[in-house]
Amino acid sequence: MVAFRSTDTSGRTTGLLVRCVLYSLLALGLMIVDKRYDHLGRIRRVLSVVAYPVQIAVSSPFDGWNWFRNSVTTRDTLRTEKTKLEAQLRVAQFRLQRYEALEAESQRLRALRDSTAGVTDRFLIGDVMNVDLDAFRERVLVDKGASDGVYVGQAVLDSGGVFGQVARVGELTSEVILVSDAAHAIPVQINRTGLRTIAVGSGDMSLLKLPYLPTSADIIAGDLLVTSGLGGGFPAGYPVGTVADVKRDPAQSLADVDVKPAAALDRSRELLFVWLKPQAAEALPQPAAPKTTPPKPAAPKQ
Amino acid sequence: MMRDTRIRRLPMALSALVALALAVLPLPSLLEPLRPDFLVLVVFYWCIESPRAGGLGLAFVSGLALDVVHGVVLGQHALALTLMGAWATHLRLRIRVFSVLSQCLTIFALLTGYQFVLFWVDGATGNPVTNFGRWLAPFIGALLWPLLVNAFSNFRAR
Repeated sequence: MVAFRSTDTSGRTTGLLVRCVLYSLLALGLMIVDKRYDHLGRIRRVLSVVAYPVQIAVSSPFDGWNWFRNSVTTRDTLRTEKTKLEAQLRVAQFRLQRYEALEAESQRLRALRDSTAGVTDRFLIGDVMNVDLDAFRERVLVDKGASDGVYVGQAVLDSGGVFGQVARVGELTSEVILVSDAAHAIPVQINRTGLRTIAVGSGDMSLLKLPYLPTSADIIAGDLLVTSGLGGGFPAGYPVGTVADVKRDPAQSLADVDVKPAAALDRSRELLFVWLKPQAAEALPQPAAPKTTPPKPAAPKQ
Repeated sequence: MMRDTRIRRLPMALSALVALALAVLPLPSLLEPLRPDFLVLVVFYWCIESPRAGGLGLAFVSGLALDVVHGVVLGQHALALTLMGAWATHLRLRIRVFSVLSQCLTIFALLTGYQFVLFWVDGATGNPVTNFGRWLAPFIGALLWPLLVNAFSNFRAR
């Protein structure tokens, strides 16, 4: 039997309506200020510090379990993993051998053309915290915040490619909105042809969409999409995904293109925050583009 | 009277903290939409159980905490929880004498109202979530209500 125990059964609660109206007005005011103006950033940062212990308390058992599982892996597993990593490293080193020479060459060519040096990036590694933010939005919480220099709009990568961008910064943590979030868009370029367009999230972690390409666009399944660097939010040239499927319906003017994200959006635990050189992003070459939609800065539409 | 309210504040704060932790506990993504609003249920419980110990204040503060951990516009959950907390406080004498089924139905109505306010604010701030999954949480929450009340009253009986 469901029973309440308290003896507080008097019919009167003094000023319930008044308090309800007061608190509601306060909440409405907060929402308007938070939405329209930028004054609440500091308050939110402080509040996020208050929430940090709760998030740590929730996250740490899972981290502990992962640590435990890692520390009791067998010798065999470690050995196979080591062989695999060595193989990967060898391939990466082969590819890197010519990198220095190529970079120097690129610098020289750019100097010849009087254009700016390529975007040099600074990195910081952050760990995804084991905390759920919102069941219906693709966001993760990362354990680096304003105290580490992270800023809103910063590009975030993982080992496969572009992961997303920073949507909100707390003092010690930050929220990263994934490229697959339905409210996210990122300017991209097809590596094979140089065609520029915008990839928008679908709300599904394994799918991005290219909604602004005409049916006649030169794009086939398997094409690699890289960031175009336009808009200045993301550094140029990082892989965003590969085209999985192109549906061309003659009755429609736009093609329906599915893209598989390059980053392991549902698995990555370590993320890379990238700092762009402030001027380099501004001075990127922007050739005239009459056909495609002009890329807009990929800001989460809030 | 004064001592009475003071005694009640600690379990209130503790249960709210535990519920907040449950709200961010990582779940498999398949189960995530089914997660009931634990903190909302706890706030309803305290609004009904001891309204004069500051149930509405608890509702507002818990709402702010939810806004921060969910990373949404500040005040969204606070508004929803305040409104529904006030409604729960208003209904509390009736809810006490209801049968289990009627209690569950009432809580279901309150939780749905809560989701509706969230839904409305989401739309008003330009991030609509048009996913039917979010309307599942009130069902699960209403089913959990008797268990929660029993757990609380057992705990307090000791």
